[in-house]
Amino acid sequence: MRSCSPTLSPLLGALLCAVGASAAPLPPDASYRPLPAAPFDQVKADDEAQKTEVMQRQRNLLEERFDLSDQPIPNILMSGGRKSVQGGVRVKLPTGISWDSLANMSADEIRERGVLPKGFMPLPHVKQATGGQVFPDEEIDEIARQEQRNLRRFDVDFDLPDRFTPEFPAPIFLTTHPELGDVSRGQLVTIKNYYELFVGILTPVQLEGMRLLLTPFPQEEFNQTEDRKSADQSLGVTCLDCHANFHTNGAFHQTPDVRPQAARFRLDTVSLRGLFNQQIHGSKRSLRSVEDFTQFEQRTAYFNGDQVSAQRKGVNLPNRFDQVPMMAQMQNIIDFPPAPKLDPTGHLNPAKATPEELAGEQVFMGKGRCSSCHIPETAFMDNNMHDLQLERFYKVGQTQNGLVMLPDGPIKTLTLRGIKDSPPYLHDGRLLTLADTVEYFNLVLGLKLSQPEKDNLVSYLLTL
Amino acid sequence: MTRSLWIWLGALPIFACASFAQNADQGKPAPGNPAGSPADTREAAPGVPALGQANVADRAFIRAAMLGGRAEVQFGKLAETKASSEAVKNFGRRMAHDHGAANDRLFSLAGRLTVALPPDQLGPEHKILWSRLDAEDGAKFDKDYIDAQIGDHQKTAQLFEYEIGSGQDAQLKAFASDQLPVIFEHLRMARVLSDALAIQMMAAASPLQK
Repeated sequence: MRSCSPTLSPLLGALLCAVGASAAPLPPDASYRPLPAAPFDQVKADDEAQKTEVMQRQRNLLEERFDLSDQPIPNILMSGGRKSVQGGVRVKLPTGISWDSLANMSADEIRERGVLPKGFMPLPHVKQATGGQVFPDEEIDEIARQEQRNLRRFDVDFDLPDRFTPEFPAPIFLTTHPELGDVSRGQLVTIKNYYELFVGILTPVQLEGMRLLLTPFPQEEFNQTEDRKSADQSLGVTCLDCHANFHTNGAFHQTPDVRPQAARFRLDTVSLRGLFNQQIHGSKRSLRSVEDFTQFEQRTAYFNGDQVSAQRKGVNLPNRFDQVPMMAQMQNIIDFPPAPKLDPTGHLNPAKATPEELAGEQVFMGKGRCSSCHIPETAFMDNNMHDLQLERFYKVGQTQNGLVMLPDGPIKTLTLRGIKDSPPYLHDGRLLTLADTVEYFNLVLGLKLSQPEKDNLVSYLLTL
Repeated sequence: MTRSLWIWLGALPIFACASFAQNADQGKPAPGNPAGSPADTREAAPGVPALGQANVADRAFIRAAMLGGRAEVQFGKLAETKASSEAVKNFGRRMAHDHGAANDRLFSLAGRLTVALPPDQLGPEHKILWSRLDAEDGAKFDKDYIDAQIGDHQKTAQLFEYEIGSGQDAQLKAFASDQLPVIFEHLRMARVLSDALAIQMMAAASPLQK
């Protein structure tokens, strides 16, 4: 308000006041990460004291939303042959509502009566106010064993049961060597073993790209400053700590693209399989190349889109003209897992598919409208972002475990190739099984599928 | 179509706001990041700040929410008396009511904290707006009031989200969570009204209407 000083001419003063008035006086830490207000030992003690309640709240939320029991689909395994795929609809319905009765209600009625299944709503981070990267125990334990590097947080643990995460470690398929099949040899690829595993298979450029993707760099929760959530001064995290074996281990984070903190939705790590066909990257940012994505993840996955915080904690800016292209070239040779029932155009081979799977493909291409975005010929994506407008079905602004429920807006179409390997589903992992995603899209697209159509659709999705 | 919209808006339940405030945390907000708690925060139990222990975000929130809330009531009363359309009058009445009730709750919550309350007058940007609206009337007043309401409710929604994520006092965070759906409902109503007013003004200015 100094600009309104009486020494200025009245006209100029009025102009400056009017200009100043247009700036929203929200506090700076609504956008920027604040410095800690207490010393590290005190924050750590408080975080540890809160942890039991934090984990119990999230567990209560998950149990309120989902049936978390063990119901593997018979005779179906993920592509590495090491983990079963969970089946059945796990999202719980409100009392007195069936899936059919829900599908026959208008969006307005569902919203006004408050009967949208809570499992369809955005899934909060395990500790929304703090957020940040959270790794599953399998990843934490294996990195500790191989690298003696600590990925464990003292404030939170991973929240979803293991049965709803991808198999670990995931198999790796290379576009440059389809004849070899899975080249991971059942190991988690790390800075300690990548060279022996891949020399003679990869080019020097690809090997250097992989080395960079496996090298830890400081990150918002794993760094050397007092603003961290690892007990020790951390060496940082690597790209493949989340994108384990170039797939995903289910590690989650929050979107770097939204503020303030309570509005930042959860992000489930996306698989890097098939990146060579993907033209846009990031759920929200629509970055136009793998190179852009690789470069900017140092600003976003690592530092929440806050370059100020990154500068203090030790930002790594890979060289755009040399290092980034090598990292990108390595990522661009990661193939989808084999889908033996699909022909070269992405359609089922009738000689190999079951009647249920073929019927499911008909739903996918027709009544289910799945193929209008997940186009078989282009690796089951359309390189577009779409807004499913779930907010038609609930009242926005409710708070659930610290996350404010807001419209998701347009989100990138994700590929469905190898989809049985990538639970949980949607960008935030809010859906645990493929049967859940069928019910979700049945509602948001108003499809009114019959139960046999839904079942066939799931059978079809398992072939992709 | 415009006409039916006006009838519908006029029929909006005016004091129904409290019924759709849904805070699924049921009054017990999620624990915050202890890194945002000042080092001298008193604790009710390890890791649990005692009630009434405000952090920087709580203080910023109280000041901004109180200034904004009071302005809502004053501008709402102005619109209730001065607006030319019934829908805008109703909207102003609802703002004065809803924000009046919220202000009372915020005032009692703030009284538990050792914070200085902002002066009981409009903030500088709202003083400028008041002068402008005071000089206007008719459709121009209606449109400018509603458009200012859109900006104010956008800002308020972000402010309340900020408190939910960064605040420390559990009751203050619960207040923000309870109010946020109401603020979004106000914003939605103001956006619908603004669009309708724009069409009405365009129609009034059209040569075909004369």
